[in-house]
Amino acid sequence: MLVSFVILAVILTGMSGWAQMQTVPPHKQALTQAWVQLKSLALRLPLALIAAGFIAQLLPQEQVVAYVGSESGITGILVAGVIGALLPGGPMVAFPLAVVLIEAGAGQAQMVSLITAWSALAFHRILSFEIPLMGAKFALRRYLLSVPLPIIAGLIALWII
Amino acid sequence: MKINWRQLQSNIDWMTIIFAALALSTGILLYIKSGHNSVFTSLVSSFYLLLKISPVIVAAMLVGGYGQALVPHEFVKKWLGNKSGFKGQLIASVAGALIPGGPFAAFPIVLVLQRSGASYGICINFLTAWSLIGINRILIWELAFFEADFIFLRMLVSLPLAIFAGYYAHWLFGSAQSDDSIDSQEAVKANEKEQQC
Repeated sequence: MLVSFVILAVILTGMSGWAQMQTVPPHKQALTQAWVQLKSLALRLPLALIAAGFIAQLLPQEQVVAYVGSESGITGILVAGVIGALLPGGPMVAFPLAVVLIEAGAGQAQMVSLITAWSALAFHRILSFEIPLMGAKFALRRYLLSVPLPIIAGLIALWII
Repeated sequence: MKINWRQLQSNIDWMTIIFAALALSTGILLYIKSGHNSVFTSLVSSFYLLLKISPVIVAAMLVGGYGQALVPHEFVKKWLGNKSGFKGQLIASVAGALIPGGPFAAFPIVLVLQRSGASYGICINFLTAWSLIGINRILIWELAFFEADFIFLRMLVSLPLAIFAGYYAHWLFGSAQSDDSIDSQEAVKANEKEQQC
């Protein structure tokens, strides 16, 4: 967590420096933008974390981890991909659940497959953004061609580790 | 005292209501399954998680704010215009990975790309890169929850996938691309008509 904070602080320093170099430094615009986003999270984030905590308690963690542990190989990658594609909600709900699985002993390659599946195949984004804006045909085609991606990602990760 | 209902409505949006309903229903289920002690323990650990990720999220929001203030969307659209070939795919993938802002920012750009004549493969390059490697999401959410080495492994693995998905899209659906562009031309015309009205 400290590493993450330091990385962000360095990027933030760089970006505010870049903003300072503009003829009209857009500091106020940036702060307003950040404030608007934070305000919308103020209630949503705690609720999402509480929900994720409850879901994690309700999940049969040990059974799930038995399928996606670090020794589970390609079968584990496939199972993790299916779990990832079914994870509900945005990063606020999906990521705390993924953290629970990691802490319970899921393998890294399997978790790569899970997060990739969630990223490419998550239903909430397809329903709330992709279909209304791009049309059902576009979305269906993209969904179909994205199905193999988590498996490939998991296999590459397995090979790297 | 008069309550400003519209203000209240925009603050408590539907996503918040869904999360509240989800928290309430799962909480009740957990209470039935394991009793009030597990509900309490779970609430406490959620509170600690919130404390742990809050500084990272605040910093990430500031980075996101600067990103949106410094990189105008027009610039991205200009670079992606009608490019094709490997260079276009590479640019689309890099742009998808770097675009600041969530789905609110990404999908309208894909729509503009499609309407300005970009191929289906290019749209897929952009969307796949955005969903798999989106720096915006990594900075805000992944850094808050995951260890740095896991994030690095996932990024490394995802880099070739965006380009691959573009090729693969072209190979699978490349021949069906022409009727899509007719569709989108009609959509543009319809849109123009609506604006005239």
